Amino acid sequence: MRTLAAHGLRAALPVGFEGRIHRHEPAAGEQTYAVAHFSTFALPPTTADFGNGAVQLMATRDIFAVLLEYGTESVGRRLFADHGMPRAFEHRDFSRLAARDGSGVQSAVQRFFVEGGRPFTLYVVLGSHLGRRALLAPLRSLLDGIHIEPRPVRPRVIG
Amino acid sequence: MTALAVALSFAVLLLGILVVGLLRSHADVLRALHSLGAGIGDPSADVDDHDHGAGPVPITMGPRLPSERGAAAPDVFGTTPAGDAVAVSAGAADLTLLAFLTGGCGTCHAFWKGLSTRAALGLPTGSRVVIVTKGPELESPELVAGLAPPGIEVILSTAAWVDYEVPAAPYFALVDGRAQRRVGEGLASTVEQLAGLIQRVVADGNHRFAPARTHLDGPEREVDNDRALLASGIGPGDPSLYPTSTHAASE
Repeated sequence: MRTLAAHGLRAALPVGFEGRIHRHEPAAGEQTYAVAHFSTFALPPTTADFGNGAVQLMATRDIFAVLLEYGTESVGRRLFADHGMPRAFEHRDFSRLAARDGSGVQSAVQRFFVEGGRPFTLYVVLGSHLGRRALLAPLRSLLDGIHIEPRPVRPRVIG
Repeated sequence: MTALAVALSFAVLLLGILVVGLLRSHADVLRALHSLGAGIGDPSADVDDHDHGAGPVPITMGPRLPSERGAAAPDVFGTTPAGDAVAVSAGAADLTLLAFLTGGCGTCHAFWKGLSTRAALGLPTGSRVVIVTKGPELESPELVAGLAPPGIEVILSTAAWVDYEVPAAPYFALVDGRAQRRVGEGLASTVEQLAGLIQRVVADGNHRFAPARTHLDGPEREVDNDRALLASGIGPGDPSLYPTSTHAASE
């Protein structure tokens, strides 16, 4: 198992998963933060932050996960009241409505939290709502291998 | 006359002694070789009766050497030209073409441009192209960023060059995602040569790269259709989805 690490995130990828940890190039005066994508299928290099362009390629056995960091001003807000990234999900946590494919086939869950002083959202899409139970174990092994560096990472700033 | 006969007899006797000595020496050599297990000489001879203290040398086979080149297809871990971390799984696509290129080699330039036209390569549906250069310690990320074709994953990873035993650039490896093994690899100097390599592998009856399709219906079929269209580069709003005439394509 090899590790993917960048921008204060580290992920030991289980077999069958691939991923990318990046930051958008900031415009003048803008700050950007870490975005991590993980998938069991070929992740297009042009995948949008919340998976547009990738979730359309998912087969029913596939998993797609996004870990997206927000600015530190979000810390303390009610949306980010939870502490620590959730790593264990049950099948009832997923819903068709949370998936944005609009087909009713996929299933998704989204959580907001703060870990190590950094606010994040975790968005997970499963290829099949009906078959979601079978995908929980590999999802768990992926999430167990993700580590968020506790120290604050200085965001890219231009201007 | 008598003296001559005596001299000849003496000479014959000396030569006879010399021949007997040579024969004994030869026999000793044969026995020694036989006791070492060389299998030379009379196999029916009783070696133990003539053992001079050195026992037979046991011959054991050493560990089996690995084959010259492996067929394993390890995942590719590295960085993007922008410095972000990226990992590509060999099993994530039905067929993955790994193109090992450098920024400096003249032959590679045709591939930096040619790999963006997938149709020329003859890659089947469900396949993808990943360009792998050496890591940022050996390759200029800025140079690679300038060469990277849009829409194709480019990874800087020296470890991948070691894992795939790349002898020189441009080098290509075709990975069967289901078996997670290399099914074709080699050097190519033109896009046409590479397309030939791909076609030979795809035509090989031992490999099925087309994604397994089961009968789908309802929303699942719709999703499947969208996936196939996107894989072919046809996204929402593409003009080909709204033909003005059913005869337009044939005209």
